[in-house]
Amino acid sequence: MLRYLRLLGQWALDWIGALGRASLVWFWSLAGLPRRGDMTLLLKQVYQIGVLSLIIIILSAFSIGGVLALQGYTQLSKVGAEESVGLGVALVLLRELGPVVTGLLFAGRAGSAVTAEIGLMKATDQLSAMEMMGVDPMHRIVAPRLWAGMICMPLLTVIFNAVAIWGSALVGVDWLGVDAGGFWGGMQDGVERWEDIGKGMVKSGVFGMVISWIAVFQGYDSTPTAEGISVATTKTVVYSSVAVLALDFILTLVMYGEFK
Amino acid sequence: MTDNLIEIEGLRFSRGDRIIFDGLDLVVPRGRITALMGPSGTGKTTLLRIIGGQIRPDSGRVIVDGADVPKLSRGELFELRRNMGMLFQSSALFTDVSVFENVAFPLRVHTNLPDEMIRDLVLMKLNAVGLRGARDLMPSQLSGGMSRRVALARTIALDPKFIMYDEPFTGQDPIAMGVLVSLIRGLNESLAMTSLVVSHDIHETASIADQIYIISDGRVIGEGTPDQLRDHPSTMVRQFMLGSPDGPVPFHYPADNFLDDVLGDA
Repeated sequence: MLRYLRLLGQWALDWIGALGRASLVWFWSLAGLPRRGDMTLLLKQVYQIGVLSLIIIILSAFSIGGVLALQGYTQLSKVGAEESVGLGVALVLLRELGPVVTGLLFAGRAGSAVTAEIGLMKATDQLSAMEMMGVDPMHRIVAPRLWAGMICMPLLTVIFNAVAIWGSALVGVDWLGVDAGGFWGGMQDGVERWEDIGKGMVKSGVFGMVISWIAVFQGYDSTPTAEGISVATTKTVVYSSVAVLALDFILTLVMYGEFK
Repeated sequence: MTDNLIEIEGLRFSRGDRIIFDGLDLVVPRGRITALMGPSGTGKTTLLRIIGGQIRPDSGRVIVDGADVPKLSRGELFELRRNMGMLFQSSALFTDVSVFENVAFPLRVHTNLPDEMIRDLVLMKLNAVGLRGARDLMPSQLSGGMSRRVALARTIALDPKFIMYDEPFTGQDPIAMGVLVSLIRGLNESLAMTSLVVSHDIHETASIADQIYIISDGRVIGEGTPDQLRDHPSTMVRQFMLGSPDGPVPFHYPADNFLDDVLGDA
């Protein structure tokens, strides 16, 4: 019994310690003014993290949009409401699937890469070497990746939503023959700027922040061995995914819940 | 200003239950080459990291250029490190950029020099280590010895006041070794640099070092010029200087009796 209590205590202490170190990473990397050359570093990371994630985002968005239209059409056509497919798909994407699926894909594609890269830099003493040259790796390595993640995630969500809606139109209108006017008109009438688009983007911004934070911290805090980096990369994907799903529930509750 | 760049007093440091330093005292005079020797696993690299402020000791004073390193703030520490160079055992080259960019890195970050001047400086440093022709290679294309030399060129790019070399001679062929030995000596004399060399290569180190510290079991067991150490009264020191396997310095990492270990119940 005592042993379990001790394990529990140890686990809690480890967890609080990690949280403290993670906060320091956040603080040190974002503290201080931007310096000369920071823009170049940031753009490079936006390319690595954002542009290179485009293919997986676009492919997934297209197939999810198509599937949503298919499923919606089969159900809605039973009651003769197939024109509402457009609105239904748009609401589901903008409010939920857009930010959440982009977040999950982003964690798997970009988050894991960031963790592995920083972890390997640590294992090969590159971070130490930088420190000894009087260059803060928090500023040089961690901060650009953190910022790039926070910038790219909302942009990728926008692209995801646009492609998914286009995919659903392709399936719904061009293939299944839903009336184009009803499809797009319903969407335009039903979707609200803040309520649907805005709140979805808030979610996406929060996810971007959390995923990037987890990814850089796991890399920076990894045990500098082959096994340690593999563990850190796995943790990034698992923690980010769980965080995205849990936060999505909380944010939905707070933003759309009846009890405010 | 004292004439010692580094003064370490009563340094204590332990990792878990293992005591690495147990009251270590050490002094590195300005403008000299000081060597640090000792059996593997005595924490020589750890000592370099403590001096560089990357590891905080449990207790003791570590004065570098008048500043007490463990008490410095993050900002002050980065400021202090601009005057230091450290050559890592693993070279620690940035693997995503070329040899040229590796050496140019400290210049680009810490100076506002125009590109042509940076180019000239980088080529001078690379020439000094004999790798001017390798400037466009990526670190993954270099051998271990070559990486070490590129790392050295990067370390001296800003002409720091003080350089710590962690095993600079490992993996070098005899020719490169000779060049490195004279390079370290030459840097020290022409630029009035202070050097701290960690090395196992007794002959090379003894040929350039002004004074040598031998560390074992967390403290200094012998110090002096290479000649003094060869005739040192302590058998431990002499054993180390001569490299003989038998003597008071154990070759084995602490372990149970060999026969018991091998023949004991499995």
